[in-house]
Formats: sequence, C-alpha cells, structure tokens
Amino acid sequence: MLPLFTLKLNHKLVPGLVTLGVFDGTYPCLTAATSGDKLLVHNPHERSGELGGRLQGSKVASDVSILNINQQVTSLCCGRLKKATADAGPMGDVLCVGTPSSLQVYDVANNADLFYKELPDGANSLVVGKLGDRPDPLVLVGGNCALQGFDADGSDPYWNVTGDNIRSMALIDLNQNGQNQLLVGSDDFDIRIFNDDDISAEVTETEAVTALQPLAGTRFGYALANGTVGVYDRTSRWWRIKSFDIDNDGVPELVTAWSNGKVDARSDRTGEVVFKDNFNVSVAGLTVGDYRLDGKDSLICCSVDGEVRGFSPSSGSQRAASQATDGSTIEQQTIHELSQRRQTLLLELRNYEENSRVDEAIRSSGSRQTVENVGIIPANTQLQTGLSVNMGSSTVPPHVEITLATSNDTIMRAALIFAEGIFQGESHVVHPPSAMCSNAIRVPLFPPKDVTYDLHIKALVGYVNSEHYHVFELTRQLPRFAMYALSTEQVQPPEGFVTFKLNERVQRMVMWLNQSFLLLEELAVPGDLDITMTSLRTCRPLQLQMKQSGQVTIRVDDMELAGDIIQTLTSFLKVEDLQCEADFPAELEQLEKTLSRVLEYQSVRERLTAEMADYSGIIRSLVVRAEDARLLADMKSMKRWYMELFDVNRDLISDYKIRCNNHEELMACLKQVNQTIQKAGKLRVGKPKAAVIAGCRAAFKNSNIPSLLKTIRSGEP
Amino acid sequence: MGYTRKGKQFLGLETNLTDDIHSIHVSGSNLLVCSSFIYNHFYDCEDTNYYLSGEEITDVISLPAERINSFVPVLACRDRSLRVMKYSGVRYQVDVAGPPSTLHLFYGDGGSTAEYLLYGTTDAAIGCVALGRNEPTDKWTVEPSRDSSRAGVVCMDHFDMTGDGVRDLIVGRDDGSVQIFSYDDGEEVAPTLRYTYAGSETVTSVQGGHVSNSEYEEVLVTSYSGWLFGLSSEKRDRHAYEVEPGVISLSAEAKQRIYNLRAEVESLQERVSRERERYHQTTQSSLGGISAVPYISVNDRMTLSKEDASYLLTIEVQTPIDNVLLQSDVPVDLLDVEKNSAVVSYSTCDQSQTGNFLLATYRCQANTTRLEVKIRTIEGQYGRLQAYVTPRLQPKCCQVRQYQVKPLSLHMRAHRFDPNRPYNSLTLTGKFSYAEVHAWLAFCLPEVPERPPSADSATLSFVSTFLDTMLHVNYRQGQVEFKSDNISTISIIKDVLTKEATKKKIHLSINCDVNEGSVVHTLQLLHPKLDAQLQLAKKVALIGPLTELVAHEHDSGAAFLTPEYRAILQQAAQLQEQSSRQPAHLERLYGMITDLYIDKHKFQGVNVKSKVPQLLDILYNYDLGKLLAFFTQGSRQTHTPTSAPSTPAE
Repeated sequence: MLPLFTLKLNHKLVPGLVTLGVFDGTYPCLTAATSGDKLLVHNPHERSGELGGRLQGSKVASDVSILNINQQVTSLCCGRLKKATADAGPMGDVLCVGTPSSLQVYDVANNADLFYKELPDGANSLVVGKLGDRPDPLVLVGGNCALQGFDADGSDPYWNVTGDNIRSMALIDLNQNGQNQLLVGSDDFDIRIFNDDDISAEVTETEAVTALQPLAGTRFGYALANGTVGVYDRTSRWWRIKSFDIDNDGVPELVTAWSNGKVDARSDRTGEVVFKDNFNVSVAGLTVGDYRLDGKDSLICCSVDGEVRGFSPSSGSQRAASQATDGSTIEQQTIHELSQRRQTLLLELRNYEENSRVDEAIRSSGSRQTVENVGIIPANTQLQTGLSVNMGSSTVPPHVEITLATSNDTIMRAALIFAEGIFQGESHVVHPPSAMCSNAIRVPLFPPKDVTYDLHIKALVGYVNSEHYHVFELTRQLPRFAMYALSTEQVQPPEGFVTFKLNERVQRMVMWLNQSFLLLEELAVPGDLDITMTSLRTCRPLQLQMKQSGQVTIRVDDMELAGDIIQTLTSFLKVEDLQCEADFPAELEQLEKTLSRVLEYQSVRERLTAEMADYSGIIRSLVVRAEDARLLADMKSMKRWYMELFDVNRDLISDYKIRCNNHEELMACLKQVNQTIQKAGKLRVGKPKAAVIAGCRAAFKNSNIPSLLKTIRSGEP
Repeated sequence: MGYTRKGKQFLGLETNLTDDIHSIHVSGSNLLVCSSFIYNHFYDCEDTNYYLSGEEITDVISLPAERINSFVPVLACRDRSLRVMKYSGVRYQVDVAGPPSTLHLFYGDGGSTAEYLLYGTTDAAIGCVALGRNEPTDKWTVEPSRDSSRAGVVCMDHFDMTGDGVRDLIVGRDDGSVQIFSYDDGEEVAPTLRYTYAGSETVTSVQGGHVSNSEYEEVLVTSYSGWLFGLSSEKRDRHAYEVEPGVISLSAEAKQRIYNLRAEVESLQERVSRERERYHQTTQSSLGGISAVPYISVNDRMTLSKEDASYLLTIEVQTPIDNVLLQSDVPVDLLDVEKNSAVVSYSTCDQSQTGNFLLATYRCQANTTRLEVKIRTIEGQYGRLQAYVTPRLQPKCCQVRQYQVKPLSLHMRAHRFDPNRPYNSLTLTGKFSYAEVHAWLAFCLPEVPERPPSADSATLSFVSTFLDTMLHVNYRQGQVEFKSDNISTISIIKDVLTKEATKKKIHLSINCDVNEGSVVHTLQLLHPKLDAQLQLAKKVALIGPLTELVAHEHDSGAAFLTPEYRAILQQAAQLQEQSSRQPAHLERLYGMITDLYIDKHKFQGVNVKSKVPQLLDILYNYDLGKLLAFFTQGSRQTHTPTSAPSTPAE
C-alpha cells in the first residue's frame, strides 16, 4: 500500500465519527465531527456554492466548511436516501447525524434539512441502505436497545428491539439472496443478525461489540471494546479490524485503526498483517473512497488531531517496488518461509533425538543426575481435568471449579487458562508460591453469562525448582448452563413460569439437559421429567418439567433465563416456530411501574420544555430593557435588569440540570421497557416471536399498558 | 585454532584458560584472548601478558600496531570504561558514556593518527575516543535521536556504501536494526544517520562489501536465529517484474532453490511425524520411560534505560514464541512498548495468599521471535521477576528466566563523585568479610561486578537515573560507608543491609549522619523536574480548549491569542508527545517526595504517615517555598547534623 497524500485539517476530530459522502453526486467530501458539536466537511474539489443556514464557510482553510449541530454528535453516516427525482441530476448522498436525543438528515448539496426526528432512545449508530425486501433505502438508527428505520420522508416503517445498547451496525447480504441483513453489535457482547423483523442468528462475543464491517461475500469483520478484531463467515468465526482491498486481488482486507495510532491491514482469510502505518495520536476514523477523482478508491485515515492520510492499493509494479524497499521479494519470502519451517522441524527433531539419547543414558546409568540442561518428566505423565460445582463456603460464593492434576509425583508450577469472557483479561494464571506447589491446582470459575465457554488450558509440569517445564495443553468446554446445580431440597416453586408444548420425547429433553448443564452423573428419567436446579449466582431455584405428552413448563423468576433456555432447547431440537404461555409476575409488575414512570417523565419533560420557552421570552425582554437602560445611561436600572437576568439565567441552568436528570432517567426506563419486550420475544421462536415484538411495539406506542402485558403473557396482541 | 583460506587448520593453540573465551583479536603475531574476567596476550603463541579484571570484559581490540609502532591493546569493560593496557597492567582507564559492548577502529584503520577508537554501548550510544600515548581525548558521541532505535549496539563495520569515496559506518543493533552513518564533516565531528533497516531479530554481526553483485554495495547481516542476509543498495524492481498480476517470474536458479528447500522440508516433515508418533507411544506406554526435552536457548536481557528510568526486558527465542508468562513477587508496572503486537492480559492476584504482585500473559502473534516489555520498578521494593517462555515447538515446553529486582534498581554506575553536595552518611561496622560486604552491595545495586576488586578496599559510585542523586560506597573488611544526598537511598540501604545481616547473624553497628541540608538539596534537585512536569501537564491540558477557541474564530485564526498561548498551540504536537512518553512521571515524583519526607523523619524517630495527605495537598498546589517550609517545619531547632545513636541490629 502506498501513501498518496497527507493533509492537516487543523481541527480536533472525534474518534469514530468520520465518513465520506458524495453529496452532490460527483465529488466526495470527507465529513467528520469536531470537538465543540460541529461537523466539518472537507471538499477539496469544489467550492460549495451557497453558504448560510447551518453551513458556514471558513476563510482559513478554503476547502473546509463547518456545520453547526449544537448538540453532541454521537453518530454519523452518509448514504443515498433520497428517492430518485424527476430531474436527471446526479444522485447525491445525504448526511445523517445522530445525537443523544435526535436524528437529523441533512442534504449538504442543497444545504437543507430533509427531516429532523426526536429520538428518546438516542442514536448510537447509524447505517443507510436497503434492508430485506423493502424497496426504499432506510436510515437505520441504533439507540438504547431500540432499532428504528426511517425513510426519506422521515416516517419510520421499521422498529425492533435488542438486548442492550447498540454500539455498531452493518448491512450485509449474508445468505447471498440479494437481500441485506442487518447486523447489530451491542453492549451485551452479542452480534445479532436481523432478517428484516426477526433475529435469524445470534453470536456471543466476549466484549461489547464496537464495530462491524461487511467484507466480501458473506464475511464480515468485527471489533470489540477490548481490542479484539476478527472475521466471521456467516455465523462461524473465521479468525479473530474496516474493509479495504489493498493488494488488488479482489478480496478486501480488513483495516483496523487503533486508539494508540496504529493502523494495520490484515488479510481477511488468515488475519495476517499485510500493511502497517502509525500515527502519533489516536485514529479518529477510516473511510474508503475515490478522493482524488482518479477512478481508484483510496483508504483515508484521519487522526484525532485532524491529520488526514490517504493510501492507495499498490498495483502490480508498485508492489514490487514497495517490496524492494523493505528488502524482500516473493522469492526471498518463499525461501524465508521454507527455511523457517525447516528450522522449526529441525528443532523438533532435535528434541526427539535428545529425548531418546537421554532416555538411553538414564537407562544405562540408572540415575537422573547424569544429564544437564534437559527438562525431564516421566513419559507417562498425564494431566487430568475435572469440572465440578462447588457450593462455596462462607467467604467464597458458589462457583464452578476446574481441577487440574498430574498423574504422578510431578508438580504443576503454574496453570494458564485462556478463556474470553470469564476473566477480566483473556486469561487467568494460577502461580502458587514455590513452597506450595503440588500436583494439583484448583481454579474457581465464575462465568458471568449463560453461554458456552471454551477453556484453553496450559499447565506447566515439572519438578520442584526446575528451570524447564513441560507444557500440557488441552481444551475443555464449559456447558452453557454450568452455573446451575441440581438441588435435592424441596423449595417453594418460583412464581414465574412459561409453558409450551413440544412434539418430542422426554428422552430428547434429557439428552439436552445432560449436554447443557454441568451434572455430576448422566441424568436418566423414566417417566415425567421434573427437576429442580439452583442458580449458583443468585441461589434462586429453577424448575424444569416435562410431561410424557410433551408439555414443558419452566418455572423461574428470571424471564431472561427462561428465554435463554427456550432458545437453546429449540435450536437443539430444531424447532422452528414456538408459541407459549408465560407469566412473570415480578418482572411484569416492575414493567408496569416503569411504564407509569415513563409517562411521568414524559409529562415532566413537556412541562420543562414549556417553562424553557417562557424563560426565553423573559430573557429577551430583560436584555432589551437592560440595553435600553444602558443607552439612556440609567446605570441603576441597567444593573437591576442585569441582576434579574442573572437570576433567570441561574434558574434556567438549574432547570436544565433537572431536564438532564429527567432525560437520563427516562432513557434508563425506556431501556428497561425495550429489554423486557426483547425478553418476551425470546420466549418464542420464529413467527410468534416477530408477532410478539410487533404487538408490544404497537401497544407501547399507544401507551396501552394492559394490552402490552397481555401480549407478553399470551404471545398474541 | 587457525585455518587457512583453503580451510586447512594451520594453527592450533591450547590455552590454559578454564573459562569460555568471549572475545578474540589478532594483530600480526599478537593474539589477544578474553574470557569474562581474564585477558591473555599471546605473542607467537606464547603466553606473554595476563590481566585479571575486576569488571566483566566485553570486547578486546588493539590499535593498529603497524601505524603507531607500538602494541596497544584495549579492553572494553562493563563498568562504563575502556582499559588501555600496557603489558600486564593498565596504562590508563577511559570513562565512556555507557557500558561498552563492542569496539571498532575508527574508519577501520584508527583514523588519521591511528589512535581513534569507536565504541558502541548497550544503551545505544556510539562514541569515539582518541587514545593518545598518555591520555585519552573524547571526540564525539552519538546518542540515538528520539524516534530512532534505542537498542544496544552489537557490532560495527566500515564500508563505503554511498559511493562517495568515504567509508561509512555500519551499525547493527540488538533490536534488529541496521544503520548506516556517513562521515560528512571529517573525523572530529559525529557522523550523520543515512539509512536504517528495521529487522525483527537481534543482529549478531554486520559487514559491508560486494557479495552478490559487483556493481552494488551490500551489507551482510547475521541474526540471532541463524539468518544470513544481504542488504543491497541496488534498486530491486528490476528483478521481480511481473508478467501479469499475481504471477511473478522467478529465475531458474531461484526455482531450483525453492524446490530443493521444499523437498527438504517435506522429508523432514515425514521424519518428524514418525518421531512424533514414537514419542506419543512412549507417553502412552507404562514402561516408565522418560520424556526429556532439551533446554531451549533464550536470548534475554533486562537493561535499565536512563531516559525514563525503567527497565526494558527483551526475550528472544530461535523459534516463534507462543506465550510468555511474567510473574513477579515485587510490585512493578508494565508499560506498553509500541513495537509489541502481543496481546497482554493481566490476571488478578491475591498478594497475601500467593505472594504474586503481577501475573501477566503475553500471547504472541504468529512468527514473533522477540518480545519487548517495559517494566517500571520502585526503589526499595525488591524481589524476583520470572518469565516463563513457551515457544511454538513440539513437544511443548517452557523455560523459566529469573531477574532480580534490586532494592536500588534505578541506580547506575557513575564515574565521578561530586564532593560538593550535602551528603548523609551511613557507616556500618561489624564482623563481616570483604567478600560478604561485596555480595551485599551486589544484592542492593545493579552493575556491581561479580567478584570483589582485587585490592582490599574498594570504592563505587552510583547515580540515580530518576533523580540524579549520587551514592558513594567505600568498603573493606569489617566496614562499609555509604554517602548519598538522598536520604531515601540511605534509608533503603539501611533496611536492606540490617535484614541481610540478621539473616547471617552478623552484628552490625550502625552510624547514621543525617545532613539536614541534603533534604533541601534533593528537593531543589527535584524542583526543575517537577516544575517542568507541572508546566507540561498544564500546557497539555490547555491544548484542547485553545484549539477549539481557534476553531470557533475561523476568520482570524490564532492571532487574537496571547503569544504564550500561541506558542502552546504551535508546539502542541511536541508537548503531547513529551507527555505521552513519560506516563505517570508526575505520580512517580510525588511518590519520591513522599518517601523522602517519611524517611527523613524516620531517621529522627518520628512517624509522619499521618501527615502525608497534608504533604500531598501541598504537592498538588506545588510551590517550592511551601514545600521546603513543610519539610523543615518541626526540625528547625536542630539545624546541625543529627547523629543517630548507633544501634546494633538484632
């Protein structure tokens, strides 16, 4: 990849808010959010004609114009949203700007607002494009658990909910049927794939999903808050950064920009780094476009300091040249690679040869002291692992415990467990003091979520005071519902329940149970299934019942858990549609309370808005009076008016604070409502699920609380 | 042993040395051989001169005998000095900027007077000294610039790479970079950096010449894991032209080479899988065989870098590294190194139960053979840092490396001792031997030679890389005297040595002379640093708002600002870089001052822990006058140096 241009915008850019738009249909413009709630549009090609309105020209840098937004910008996106108009002019992009409480769609070329929408859920992420089989492009807004789609007129034909705050979105045609699916990454570590209204797949990652980027075909890249990047092909992980084709082979590379200023491009197949560059400060954003109008796309990187660098994919001859600069050609690379492999193999061979040599030496002399500089353990040493439930003690809460032990007198110096999501980092290390090393290590695990975790264990095995240890590697899987233990005591059955009918035998259900729970011994049930579990996290009971007839009842107070169980059970049994009866008195009561609070907050908000309008009237008159007094040189009354103005101002500020708090609480409540709707959806599968969500939305929009509750309970609006 | 050009051995010499030979140099019929501490001179294969050095010898060379008509051997020693030899003794000693790692004749022949000698140091500097008959003169030193490689110099050579008729200096460093410097303004002036090649493995030797093509100058480089490669001044795109995109034509020779290599790799692969199978069988059998895996060679270093007073730990293995586990039983901070691509993950550790203060894993990306980690230590906290290195090699094994974090970890050896500072002194007397006291010093301080110097008393000087305070030690059998202008240093030594002596059941009598003036002196020493840091922090904080102000007033630009603010804006980039290069510097300084305060009062027998918040308050609103007043308050009556009563350690 070759550097093309570097320019300085002399503005601070906000990370993540950089995009490229072809606003007049011909010339691309770099658009970025700057500090101070403004947008910057860099158009090196054409002087924008008219100024005024939001658009201000800047004399300092003639090709930069500034848009005043006056609200914090949270998301930015360009895309073709306008319907084809009668005049034959080129179709331009529109600029969509998301703020914490609104969406503005702005036509830069004509310097006019297309529409402005109040969005109580905020707009964390925006994407423009066609979704599913809808004819018109939509601007999709991801906010606080809610998804909304607007068309060019500002009406919203699309609405959906997800489990948590939305951090990133992308549109991609995953099943190659010509229709886009919506990928949504959220704070609860999930990537959900929406096929129009219903979720077609869900993948759980290990951190909040901060970026999603479609790549070629059915592949897409993702990035997590902890710095992991990777590529998925449909729903299977290909490897574990933004897309751009740099070596001209038609396959885009994944380009990642990091907050420490690094930019690197990786091959989308293997994740190998093929290009690197470095900024001194954080990178604000990456975008791809034909910025020099030479017909070729280039990669544009912007740093938070306003430095912009462009790169072009190097073509054949350029590539050879660029390789010459780093001193290696294909030929040398091949040789290098082969030699490297040869060396690794030779070293491995040496290990085996040395092994048998030492073996002989020891057999003949019978003592271990004869050889130096080798690490020796008995060949038949084995590492045993066991997963079990530990009910904890007074100081340690109940947890899942993994026991690692060697089969003889060797000791375990340390154990490394790589598993994402369970620990603070990606790994956990147990390193006992050397005096306390033994042949067994117990590691308590507290999996925070009900998902399956892969544990990659590396155990360092040797003798006391050795400098060299054998590494035993193995992988264990933690079942999805490992944090639930069978309980034998009789407990008061939980009030919440969900019941549905399955056309399956009880044995199949038992198979599923054995697979998804951490049971000490295989469960075998002759007749009706009726078991009680205890959650190790909350110590609350969970009851699973299944009659021979196929009627399944899950009794638990946690609606989300019930939803998770239904989703895994149905995917295990390959059930496509499932309707159910449910009641979760505690959660629904909570929902009712929340809903009434929402109404309350909304009315407070209206009152405050009205008051604010009143104040602005007073301020206007006070300013006029004060200025009049000043002109008349009546200092005394001028002082009085200004004093009053000061008081009004103070009131206004305190009101503003109230408004802010009110808004925050409202957001929290709306989030709760959205989450509950989503949980209700999860209790069903397939069509009934979409119906529940649509029903809930309709009921909520009309503030019809009883109907909302009824939909959640029965699944039918 | 010597070999002729045809590969026949023409000389074999059996020396009576028992150590490994580390460096060798031949000049005419003189042969110079050095092991870690011993220098031997053979003339016509006869042992003529011999010298036992108290410091580790890193390299040996002699000035060109044919030009100066006398034989002058020079030893590079780890104590930051060069020793110019005369027969079996030292003619004189030259102090240099850092611990020298390699020596090379200037311009390959010693320069115009044949007395010029180049040295490279482990802390990245290159210097030139003229070794006159009676005294040396320092010519120049090149400290690496901010953004270039700061790795230690491993090897040097001269060759005209630029084709201007003047030889250029080729330098190989231990982070894999090869640099070419050219002498633009003659031999009295430091050369300028021309080219840099950044490799990924430690360079072990460099040599300039014409190798594969007589028209272009090349540099041959060997690296740690056994690669030999050439860097050419030739433009490469002539070779690998493309016939069509994606297909690159290769010469027949290259094809054959690749083909052979591939065949070799395949046959190896087969053998390895056979052996692997056998190995697996033995692990399954119950015959009681053993699994013995030879040690892997790990090239590791932990060096103190004086710029930011932190340690740089580098670990290099011949095969790609899978992961590295760092465990420490002392509190240390790990800093991010830009070049690292490894994923670091910290584990929670329960200090009281397991004694671990740090457990971190570095999971390396494919083909990483080298890992760099920056570690910040705290003086007074000492213990052991361990690295468990696991390479990607079957059968999987890991190697443990241990590093001592010394109590005065941030000190380095100094040549000179400034007698004009106010010093606190600590004298310990007791029944300990010369070797014992030397061992204690080696335990406390870095860069102390393994063996005590041959005389019956010795003097060492150290300087703190963080505060520039000095420490001076004079020791002999039964007595050791420390002098330092930093009372905290004295306090640390006192604590550590009493502990060590108690372990060995040696009674120590301790005499402490606290110089009140030293505290003020140290604070004044700290003042410019602290002040600069505070200014920097202030300026950096202003950059954001100022840029925004300017952005608002896009018509007038920055013209309306005061010159001071305009300057901040102009230097924004440098300021930010400066502050990012020294993360938590201010906090470290605050920590130092707090320690100083506590230690000062400890010597007076007062516990002032309760007053620390008050001190921090003063620090947050820093003013030298106020700080000094706070330090001296309560002790104003005793301005004369107080002598603590000597207390035998229990």
